[in-house]
Amino acid sequence: MKKRSKYLLIFPLLLWLFLFLVLPYLFILTQSILATDDFGKVVYTLNFDSYIKIFTNPLYYETLTRTFIYAIIVALACIVLSLPLAYFIAFKVTKHKSFYYTLIVLPFWMSYIVRAYAWKIILGEQGVLNSFFMYSGVIKKPLSFILYSDFSVLLCLIYIFLPFVCIPIYTSFEQISKSLVEASKDLGANSWTTFRKIIFPLILPGVISGGTLALVLTLGDFLAASLLGGPNTLFISNIVQNLFGTSNDKPLGSAVGVVLLVLVFLLLEISSRYEKKHETQ
Amino acid sequence: MKKIALSVLVIAGLFTSCGKKTEEAKAETIDLEALKGSTLNILAWEGYADASFTKAFEEKYGVTVKGTYFGSSDELVSKLQSGGGASYDVITPSSDVAGYIVSSDLVEPLATDELTAWATLSPVLKGMKDVQKDGKTYGMPFTWGPDYLIYNADVIKETPTSWNLFFDPKYKGKIAMYDDISSIYLAAQLLGYDKTDQSVLYNLTEEQLAACKAKLVELKPQVRKNWASAGELDNLFKNKEVVAAVGWPLTPANLNKQGMNIKAVIPSEGATGWIDRLMIVKGAKNKQLAQLWLEYVSQPAVMAQIAEFTQYYVSNPAANALLTPETQKLMDVASMDSMFKTLNFWQPVKNRKRYNEIWSEVKNQ
Repeated sequence: MKKRSKYLLIFPLLLWLFLFLVLPYLFILTQSILATDDFGKVVYTLNFDSYIKIFTNPLYYETLTRTFIYAIIVALACIVLSLPLAYFIAFKVTKHKSFYYTLIVLPFWMSYIVRAYAWKIILGEQGVLNSFFMYSGVIKKPLSFILYSDFSVLLCLIYIFLPFVCIPIYTSFEQISKSLVEASKDLGANSWTTFRKIIFPLILPGVISGGTLALVLTLGDFLAASLLGGPNTLFISNIVQNLFGTSNDKPLGSAVGVVLLVLVFLLLEISSRYEKKHETQ
Repeated sequence: MKKIALSVLVIAGLFTSCGKKTEEAKAETIDLEALKGSTLNILAWEGYADASFTKAFEEKYGVTVKGTYFGSSDELVSKLQSGGGASYDVITPSSDVAGYIVSSDLVEPLATDELTAWATLSPVLKGMKDVQKDGKTYGMPFTWGPDYLIYNADVIKETPTSWNLFFDPKYKGKIAMYDDISSIYLAAQLLGYDKTDQSVLYNLTEEQLAACKAKLVELKPQVRKNWASAGELDNLFKNKEVVAAVGWPLTPANLNKQGMNIKAVIPSEGATGWIDRLMIVKGAKNKQLAQLWLEYVSQPAVMAQIAEFTQYYVSNPAANALLTPETQKLMDVASMDSMFKTLNFWQPVKNRKRYNEIWSEVKNQ
């Protein structure tokens, strides 16, 4: 009886996962091996052209690699920015710690789109930044490369995903016992050695999980590129969006989705193995 | 009893035979009370569901008009194919996909004889075969217009005569293109492919597509942003991000109302254009209301309001006389027939998928 009620409790969750996770995945998997007519109506014949196209047409594999490079840049930048920030809040702040913590989470209270638009206002030709620089005489002509370029897209992504990286790192810092740091200093290590040999290995799981999160989120992002990107900016998700929307080629869009999914799964697997290895040390 | 019934029939016949009265007779067949409180869902190009002309309709029938805008023809088709009838009643496809939508059975045939203004609509537009199938008509002519070269006349003092203005080093990073396969038509026009045959633009060979791609890649350093909606283009001009772009009359119409000095021309290489129709989506939930919308929109007074707002040419010629003299001058209504002849109107692209891929490849270069 007890066992049965346990299953009953878990049933809604299983149903949810089946309806909204398993079924959609099955759908894109089957879609990806079908063909279309010229206007995108799906034709039900077994066909692997979509996969062949992804690995032969540079549009698809180049964009995929480029998106990965962007994702790595975003993840690394988030980590580099998060380390001192999280360190500061964890160790240097003594009063009102929760206030500082809230400041990091605060941007979540606003919609992503609103924040992306805010960057348009800041970075535009007549935006806040350019107007200020022009006024103070630093530049004579407004900088145009800072908006509608890869720069603005990466800036926005780093800004959006920073809290995702900062929070796990902060949590790892919090868990470090102060006595370990003191012991290291007692044994004659300077601050840098202490950080390198004691603190960093201890926060590594947090760094990895945060970095992976930023990496995966960037891989799936299309909004920043379409709002702030220039004529050159193209993320793999923009292609997926095009394929499902304007190009109306669902099989190819699904195939790109499947490839991306497999890559992300691999990435998560590697990252969790690495994380486990370091946790046991 | 029979006599009464007969005389009613005769009277009804008299009513239907004379124009204005028809509407009242028909109004009896549509239960207007039942329609009250319902919502008409329009999936349309930007500007086609503006409050300046939907409000009177809403008040007249006690309904709500809800407009959802699409940014490209492909977006419309993909929305329709994934079960559009459940969400939308009326759509406004352009000439490049209208035929496909009709032949794919995504729309209802129109009861044109019930539209009081049908007889007065432009015969040329009505006669177009792409929205006719098995003797039935599936689209009501609505508007048409060019893909203009739009420029900020405060910056570009001389009226541009060629699309090559886009390649002028002076305007590097100051150009906006439309994020759509119609950019390929533009490149093909620049290369002169449609000199003898307009339809070439829509049937480009692989080599021609490659040449268009090269042209568009060459243009890329000049481009600030590929706009995805008319609203986005408006903002690019307003924030001084761009000084010239390809766009629709809606953009200068909007911006000049806000005090800007935006002008539009058709360069010597020519321009493409589009013809938009109103259609009723197959299985639409509010079919009767959709029919009433078509009836309402086709009236000269409403068409004139639409032209005032969008500065698009409308299908009811009687509307032109109702425009303010200012708009008549801005739209150059007097010479609209000659413009109609010069434009290369969007046609169905058989290899649409390939065109889309080329356009993405341009961005990837």
